[in-house]
Amino acid sequence: MNRLLSSELLKLRTTRTFYALMGSAIALIVIITVLGAALGTFKHTGTPGRALLGVAGVAPLFALVIGVIGITTEFRHGTITPSLLVEPVRTRLMGAKLAAQLLAGVLLGAVSFAVCAGIVSVILSGRGIATGMSTSGWIDAVIGGALATMLYAALGLGVGALMRNQVGAIVIVLAWVFVIENLLGIIPGGFGDGIKKYGLSGVGSSLANSAGHASRIGQVPAGLLLLGYVLVLVIAGTAVVRRCDVGS
Amino acid sequence: MLLVIIAVVVVVGVVVALFGWDRYRATRTATGGRLEPTGELFVDPDSGRRMRVWYDRETGRREYRHEDPSDAAFGADVRAGEPGVDGEDADAVPPVRPALGGPQRRAISVTGLTKRYGETVAVERLSFSVAPGRIVGFLGPNGAGKTTTMRAMLELVRPTAGSATIEGRRYAELAQPVHTVGALLDGNDLHAGRSGRNHLRVLARAAGVAPARVDELLELVDLTHAADRRAGGYSMGMRQRLGLAAALLGDPHVLVLDEPANGLDPQGIRWLRNFLRAQADEGRAILVSSHVLAEIAQIADEVVVINHGRSVLQAPLAELIAQRNGGMRVAGPDVARLAEVLRADGAQVETAADGALVVADRTGEEIGQMIAANAIVVSELGARGESLEDVFFELTGAEGGPS
Repeated sequence: MNRLLSSELLKLRTTRTFYALMGSAIALIVIITVLGAALGTFKHTGTPGRALLGVAGVAPLFALVIGVIGITTEFRHGTITPSLLVEPVRTRLMGAKLAAQLLAGVLLGAVSFAVCAGIVSVILSGRGIATGMSTSGWIDAVIGGALATMLYAALGLGVGALMRNQVGAIVIVLAWVFVIENLLGIIPGGFGDGIKKYGLSGVGSSLANSAGHASRIGQVPAGLLLLGYVLVLVIAGTAVVRRCDVGS
Repeated sequence: MLLVIIAVVVVVGVVVALFGWDRYRATRTATGGRLEPTGELFVDPDSGRRMRVWYDRETGRREYRHEDPSDAAFGADVRAGEPGVDGEDADAVPPVRPALGGPQRRAISVTGLTKRYGETVAVERLSFSVAPGRIVGFLGPNGAGKTTTMRAMLELVRPTAGSATIEGRRYAELAQPVHTVGALLDGNDLHAGRSGRNHLRVLARAAGVAPARVDELLELVDLTHAADRRAGGYSMGMRQRLGLAAALLGDPHVLVLDEPANGLDPQGIRWLRNFLRAQADEGRAILVSSHVLAEIAQIADEVVVINHGRSVLQAPLAELIAQRNGGMRVAGPDVARLAEVLRADGAQVETAADGALVVADRTGEEIGQMIAANAIVVSELGARGESLEDVFFELTGAEGGPS
């Protein structure tokens, strides 16, 4: 395997933050899904399976933070210096980081959505409630969720590279997803609806196939749009990292 | 369904990109773990025969071999990316090299380096060079621009003007940066939550250095006992030693060390001094910065003194001492006889107003031996004039007290 990628993966595996984030994402999803599937009444939804799958939608948010940390931690601790001494071509280092984040993200997403789907179908069938989803629906949802999580991790990397300040970058991405997009979405009319549909959260949940019907777009266009956001941010972030002075 | 196809395409794309890249790298560097011929050629002064440097990328081992017509690699082409000889055609055999067999070219060459941060000038038109086998002390008060210069050499900082090259190339253009230059810039450049061993393993992996080398280096810098503890708990001295181990991963032939003695205890400093001397004696070029002259005076062959980002002086240390000191002063009842003996030996001797001798070109020990050999009685023997410390302060314009 590529040396730099292998080194980046080892960087992830040798810090506790990474395990803490991966572990809490999955633990959270398992607990909430079990509670939701066991206690939910599902009177107002024809597709309880899809509604519960929304719980796994926290996985992309964790991936976003993992992605941000993937680069900002190097600047925060100063390890960017030895990293760049080993690989002075910064684009290559960023390429390896991107590959590592894509792998970590797709792993987290696949596990999260598959585990969530498994729990939902087992518990609901135990309770005799129809999930309202076909097999191919489940597969699409899990693949879409895994891809959304993967792309969110890459997006986090892009924002982290742009900002380089760890706390600032985490605050920005979380504020964007939880506050800014929600506020913009309140604006009545086309603009607010556009944000709900084509904003980061909107395309993320559309790709993961778990968004409410009103603001859904298809999985494929959602995936392509998200990929576009990722490309813009990662390219901009790489350009910044290429130019910046490290240390002193 | 379309989604499945896209997922497959993405995964296949990533895999192809990664393995294609590996294949590409493989063609450039050949397999690791064994010696390969490099483009470094020189003439062995003992036998007059052509020699070539062989290099093992994995262990960083360098070996000098006679070029033999029966050897498969005789006249082998310069490997892609191998540094040329000062920009000349690297295949041309350069003239006789020094006895050590190392390359004659300048290991480090800084030319007109300038770095401004907005209005602030950190380094201005700085030029100096470091030759293989030499330890060059890089001196200046805090904030003189030493760290910025070193970071610019390693392309961590983008110079405003001028350039810095290592073995004739910019750092990012080196085929094997870690095997060419080892740098310790700041011992604190480590992740507090990662163990010392893992810190090195991460870097070793990226550099393609075998994990066994990590253990070897931990042993060398005496960190084996603490290797599996989180580095956040390391003392300053331990961090410096870990940083030094990282610098040595690729067994480089150029070392760039920024204040390496910081935080080391007296034994550590002595160990470092001996270690650096041994490294230089094996032909490595070493640039070591310090704001403490006494630290450098004991190991450096040459010094580069900078102040406010400008070069104040580059000179051999011995020359600096000779230029600046006022000679040795000897006083006593028999000094007239000593003066004769010294003059007979060719020394420059002057008589001071108070009758004492001032000897310009002999060390205290040499004079002491003459005194003993001739059974001369003296009452005083000592250095006259400015100390090295005074010279340093004079050069950098620093006064006593924190500035």
